[in-house]
Amino acid sequence: MTLEIEHGCARAKEQLVPLACKVVSITSQTSDVKAYRIQTADGQKPFDCEPGQTAMFSVIPYGECMFCVSSQGEDYIEFTVKKVGYVTERIHALNVGDSIGIRGPYGNWFPTEGLKGKDVLFVGGGIGLAPLRSLLTYMLDNRDDYGRIDLVYSGSTRDDLLFLDEIQNDWPKYPNTFVNVSIYQASDDWDGAVGFTAPFLESLDFSPEGRIAVLCGGPSLFRTCLESLEKIGFPPEDIITTLEMKMKCGIGKCGRCNIGSLYICLDGPVFTMAELADLPWSAH
Amino acid sequence: MLLAKDRLNELLDHLSTEARVYVPARIETQTRFALYSDTVKPNFKLVNTELPPKDILFPQTQNMYRYGFDAEGVPFIDPIHDADDVVIFGARSCDVRSIECMDDVFLTKGYVDEFYEPRRSRLLLVAMACNTVAESCFCDSMSLDPNSAPAADIQMSEGDQAFEVTALNEKGEAALAAWSSYLTEGSIEHAAVSCELKVEMTGIKEKLDHMFEHPIWESVSKKCLNCGTCTFVCPTCHCFDISQENRMKIGERFRSWDSCMFSCYTEMAGHHNPRAEKMPRVRQRFLHKLCFFEDRYGKSLCVGCGRCVADCPVALDITVLIDQIGAAELTEGAVHDA
Repeated sequence: MTLEIEHGCARAKEQLVPLACKVVSITSQTSDVKAYRIQTADGQKPFDCEPGQTAMFSVIPYGECMFCVSSQGEDYIEFTVKKVGYVTERIHALNVGDSIGIRGPYGNWFPTEGLKGKDVLFVGGGIGLAPLRSLLTYMLDNRDDYGRIDLVYSGSTRDDLLFLDEIQNDWPKYPNTFVNVSIYQASDDWDGAVGFTAPFLESLDFSPEGRIAVLCGGPSLFRTCLESLEKIGFPPEDIITTLEMKMKCGIGKCGRCNIGSLYICLDGPVFTMAELADLPWSAH
Repeated sequence: MLLAKDRLNELLDHLSTEARVYVPARIETQTRFALYSDTVKPNFKLVNTELPPKDILFPQTQNMYRYGFDAEGVPFIDPIHDADDVVIFGARSCDVRSIECMDDVFLTKGYVDEFYEPRRSRLLLVAMACNTVAESCFCDSMSLDPNSAPAADIQMSEGDQAFEVTALNEKGEAALAAWSSYLTEGSIEHAAVSCELKVEMTGIKEKLDHMFEHPIWESVSKKCLNCGTCTFVCPTCHCFDISQENRMKIGERFRSWDSCMFSCYTEMAGHHNPRAEKMPRVRQRFLHKLCFFEDRYGKSLCVGCGRCVADCPVALDITVLIDQIGAAELTEGAVHDA
């Protein structure tokens, strides 16, 4: 089957100058990950976007960072942010009601049309759930349009799993929707699977027939799970991922997310592995 | 039409009353495009100014917006749009082409850059044909002509007593109509020049398409210091950073020139860096100039101005590299589609 993924299709409302917004809720996910719901200063949704699109989160006056919009509602957009550097530390210091800036949405999106009627296997680890969540929640909101949904998700420990309550208690309630969660290090508070993502994925025996895999995770998870998906029999055109590069402008001008003739912020971040094979870029 | 040389400053004085006029000039120890004034006069003996005119459209540092909290604690974000009418008077063909390249970047692919476009649309671009070439000039190997710059609004060429001025588009025609009191009928004979430094570009792009993994990058990058001089003096290098400066509760967010030669350019939070080593950075710069940009925008990002050739402290010469690429063998295992 051939999936059509659009590239270079984003038309951000705010290109370089952010819109004044505020934090309306914060939920702590792990010791270093929090999810933020954002509205404009006057209580509106900052923008509508497609699953997989990104936006620049600006912490006045410290700096700005690009994140995937991890989900959205009627009147908010949500970001899921791991504390890993200077700006994300500042984001983690934010309180409900604090003013921030948002510009976007940038980039392309997961092929929500092309996936209709197909089974979808989500594979991710740790913070890699954030972009997967944007597509997964979209599919759950439009459940009848899609086939079987499976999530294979891992974290180092139980405390590194995001949205665990939703994953374990809400998502499996949807028809034909299954979650499989593992942690790398066994602990007393965990009675589920223990093991790295790639062998866990292989043990679950998914058929590539009629199924699209959507993969997102850190470099080692990405590499090993990609190998597993290929071993199981997924052709590169049926494996979708979303790339990360350093980004400053979001509109394909500033240069740093350039790979070959593409700019990941504008032409990506969503690609099939078949498309990436043509780029001067190495997944391994 | 002709502009007598003894009326040049009169014309520039007049233009300066309506626009900011930039002319090639030596400012202290450096040659660049500087604001015309009583003390800064054009020097057309400079074949190629050491710094290109790119900062006029794309300033080295450009404030984009002010932000902060007002007296009532209400947040504000105010864009800064400050374009004036500008004349670049006496750009060489290479620098005119470089503006075409910047137009591709900042004005196409779905996004018109809100800080570049106002400057660009208010620019009158006056090209000057070269009467001589520098040792490091190789524009005519890069599909340019040192004698004419079709993308300019007005083409000038220099004779003994006068400049010939020719409008190349409607904007140029309107400008010449406004300058009519300084102009006389006539033409001059421009002796066409060509570059002494030549490179053979035939097949280079197509070869580079398959040279991403070629060992040539390891050898050419060895002596690079990653100093960024090449990107600083390059008329087409347009990468920028976005940062901010704060004073109490008020600040300005600005963009400023950046360089793919620096390791922090691609370093992400968590220290993951796809181009942490020198070789991938050197490779990125040359492939972007000679291969990637052409794939995206249909023209080379090297205009043959020779500035990086002249200024590189370790003589990493793009013309030598092009020759090496031409001579390189595409061996098995070294081939990867770029």
